[in-house]
Amino acid sequence: MSFGRFFHRRQSDRELLQEMDAHIAEEIADNIARGMSPDEARRQARIKFGSAETVRESLWQQNTLSVEGILRDLRVAVRSLSRAPMLWITITITLALGIGANAAIFSIVRGVLLRPLVNRDEEHLLYLRQSAPGIGVADETFSIPEIKDIGSNLKTITKLGTFSQIDFTLEGLGEPREITAGVVDGNYFDVMGLRPAIGRLLGPNDDGQTAAGAAVLTNHFWVTSLHSDPSVIGKTIRLGSDKTTRTATIVGVLEPSIPYPVDTELIANIVTSPHHLSATMVQGREHRMTEVFARLAPGATLEAARAELQTVYASMVADHPDVYKSADHFAIGVTRMHDQINSRAQTILWVLFAASILLFVIACSNVANLILARAVRRETEMAVRSALGASRAVLRRSLLAEGIVLCGTGALAGIAIAAPMVSVLARYASRFSVRALDLKLDFTMVWIGAALALIAAIFLAFVPRLPSLDSSRGMGLASGGVRITRGSTRRLRIFAVTQITASFLLLAGAGALLNTLFTLEKARPPFDASHVLAVNLPVMYYGRTPDQVREFYRDVQDRLRALPGVQNVAAGFAVPWRDTNDFNISLSFAADGARRENGQDDLRATFRSVSPGFFDTLGVPLLEGRDFRDGDKDGAERVVIISKSVADQLYPGRDAVNHHLYWTDGVVKFIGISMEPRRIIAVVPDIDDENIIPAPVMTIYQPADQEGWTGRLFVRTSGDPYSLVPSITRTIHDMASNQPVERATTLADVRAAVLTPDRLNAIVFGGFAILALLISIVGVAGVLAFSVSGRTREFGIRMALGAQPRSILANVLLDGLVIGIIGVAAGVLIGFPFARLLAKYVSELQLPSAVTLAGCALLILIASIAASALPGMRAARVNAAEALRAE
Amino acid sequence: MVRPVQPDSEMLKGTLDMMILRTLVTGDAHGHTIAKVIEHTSEDVLEVEQGSLYPALHRLEDRGWVSSYWGASENNRKAKFYKLTTAGRKQLIHETNRWKQMARAIGLVMGEQVLAKGGTQ
Repeated sequence: MSFGRFFHRRQSDRELLQEMDAHIAEEIADNIARGMSPDEARRQARIKFGSAETVRESLWQQNTLSVEGILRDLRVAVRSLSRAPMLWITITITLALGIGANAAIFSIVRGVLLRPLVNRDEEHLLYLRQSAPGIGVADETFSIPEIKDIGSNLKTITKLGTFSQIDFTLEGLGEPREITAGVVDGNYFDVMGLRPAIGRLLGPNDDGQTAAGAAVLTNHFWVTSLHSDPSVIGKTIRLGSDKTTRTATIVGVLEPSIPYPVDTELIANIVTSPHHLSATMVQGREHRMTEVFARLAPGATLEAARAELQTVYASMVADHPDVYKSADHFAIGVTRMHDQINSRAQTILWVLFAASILLFVIACSNVANLILARAVRRETEMAVRSALGASRAVLRRSLLAEGIVLCGTGALAGIAIAAPMVSVLARYASRFSVRALDLKLDFTMVWIGAALALIAAIFLAFVPRLPSLDSSRGMGLASGGVRITRGSTRRLRIFAVTQITASFLLLAGAGALLNTLFTLEKARPPFDASHVLAVNLPVMYYGRTPDQVREFYRDVQDRLRALPGVQNVAAGFAVPWRDTNDFNISLSFAADGARRENGQDDLRATFRSVSPGFFDTLGVPLLEGRDFRDGDKDGAERVVIISKSVADQLYPGRDAVNHHLYWTDGVVKFIGISMEPRRIIAVVPDIDDENIIPAPVMTIYQPADQEGWTGRLFVRTSGDPYSLVPSITRTIHDMASNQPVERATTLADVRAAVLTPDRLNAIVFGGFAILALLISIVGVAGVLAFSVSGRTREFGIRMALGAQPRSILANVLLDGLVIGIIGVAAGVLIGFPFARLLAKYVSELQLPSAVTLAGCALLILIASIAASALPGMRAARVNAAEALRAE
Repeated sequence: MVRPVQPDSEMLKGTLDMMILRTLVTGDAHGHTIAKVIEHTSEDVLEVEQGSLYPALHRLEDRGWVSSYWGASENNRKAKFYKLTTAGRKQLIHETNRWKQMARAIGLVMGEQVLAKGGTQ
């Protein structure tokens, strides 16, 4: 059938009629010339021509794909495939894995990276951040004076909206709890372009000191915790923060949207947080805790907005040289909200996508191998059919029908496994982008699966070679044996090598991730973390004076210490590895009599506030000096404990104790810490509570009761820490029934949770690599099995001539090894430029080490030898006499 | 189909194509001429059935072995002329070789005596 004729069947039919009329006219003319009467001539001509309709029909059919024809082809295909069920199953599973993984990952890429946000005109929504590489600040929020400076009189931006994260103790919606919330100005929701699900959102009328407290619930919280109860509107809640409590009315529920930068339960107006109205917040240029969103003016571009903001920012920096030191390199960053949300997911998802495409290539090559092997076995059948008049097109069509049946079942199975895969992968992806949270299976995935199947089917139909019109081959159809031509074998080997290469690349990638994971897992914490329980005990200020709060925490610690199984109890304000990223407070300080290099800025150290007994509880011994004690409180002498790195830095080779140090950072006055000198009373080993691999850390500890904070308990137990959680909770509730006691976890588990993304990365990519390797083993085994069965005669002859079965086995194993070596070599050749290219776009790319690469190569080679073992053994068992008789 | 002794002999499928190509070597021709030439050259042993001729011509055209154009016949009628293409010429050589091999092979198998006997019957 030609497609040209298929689409012009009508015209072509008309031409045919003309052509046949002409023919009959010629015939009539001839007949008359032979002496017939005109009537007789016409009659004879018609008889000779036969039925014109038959000609038309046969040509019409020649140019048509008939439905019956297709159905017949499919039926024949199903019948002939069901005679090879193992092949069918293998191909279905292989394709299902390839198609399923691709469909699932593509729908995640699409859902997370490509789908637009629900925010109105989301491409106009921008996100602002500042950085100061000079002091190691990569990503910083803004202060209110900064926002005032950069936000006024912008041409490319219509409005700025601000959001700052705050932890409230919430009362009035179920049990009192500590929640993460946001405080926003009246423009925020307008800039974000979000609408209420019910009620109203916050607007400019909610701004200012005198406005009534108002809060909007986020949709997720409303649906999951409040079961979408509409009567929540109008309820009054109490929000506690900064040692006071304010009331607020719930005015509405937000539509479902992406929570960014933090997932909050509610968003309130500024008046609910006394801190946000305080002078420190409003006037402190270095008091940075506000996220800034902006909406592009109509017609303005991102580049124009970036340029304008950079100009405005630069002039602000120039106006305040005391704050923005030139060595700090302060700069403003402007990104689209959409890109910002995906910034972490982007890399991982595209890499995952690349991995799944590799898997698809492997799967297709494998299937192609199996099909090719089958086709070579069927060369005789094809030759017979060809000799019986089947045209190449017909043979192709029957191959295509088989391909469609195979890929159709593969695609169905693929889609079936893709659905659960999407939910698993979405949970995985949600660690990198909040957008994965509301990901649902969409129907594009099914289309993608079908499209992939179709591509595979067409590919498969063109893989086998059809019997050529070459006479010598056509004549040779009578011999029943399998003839393997060089061409087919070469193609089979190329596919096998492709699989090995792709598997090697995947394996090397997974190896790199595993490497990272092992390094992290191997790292030991700076203290025994498995017997220390961390408990969140949010500070409840409602109805209590600060002194009463302090008293309460002291009582709690005393009572808990009396519990059986408890060795020690202490309080602090940050749980290592959990809160420390949020409370990464690095402040500059100076010390009396300390070594200072000329012209050097003040040193910076991490601020921590802990209660007496904190170091005992963690099991870290003091290096020198004394621990904090109950007398170290507001009004008494100011004291600090420093980490060894601080001591070494300040007083190398000297005794640090009894020297004085004082904060010099401009920020401290905003967080209630004075710049008065503090006496160093002890030195402790470095306790890195942020990184998994402990590094030297500069830390200064202050007593919790002396300009410090609390809210976290640490309990060292002798037995199983978790068995003590109920009695701890009960003890505290006996003292204050509405006191939240939350997230009791051992520090070892907290630390392990930090590793979860790394572990997941390794599992997902490792899973991919293992799948790929398995498919490739099947592929290599298939190729060798095929080549062995084709060489039965050769082996027979060699055995008859005295070859040992061992040498024949070695021969086949060597074959497999060669495929493996070529595959690995190709992988190395492709992999290096590929990795270099990738490194240009991905900054934190982990490249596999030489050892990892060697390990992967070894694994691949072992796998290829293992794959050749079975066919090799079969070859070695060939019975010489039988093999020769069979011919 | 070519109608020799057995009208539906599958074995000779493809030979019609070959003969059509052979006919076109001497020059472009329309369907009627092609049929007439085959009949005359075979001394009227082979009779070309029109029901096969036209599908065959169209098939050859699809494969690119012949091309067609509309022209005027000897009797000045509008007729579709067929022309041998380069690919068609190659194919013809190929088919001819194959045919010769086959004929020789069959001849060897049958032996001249048998053939002669068959001929006299």
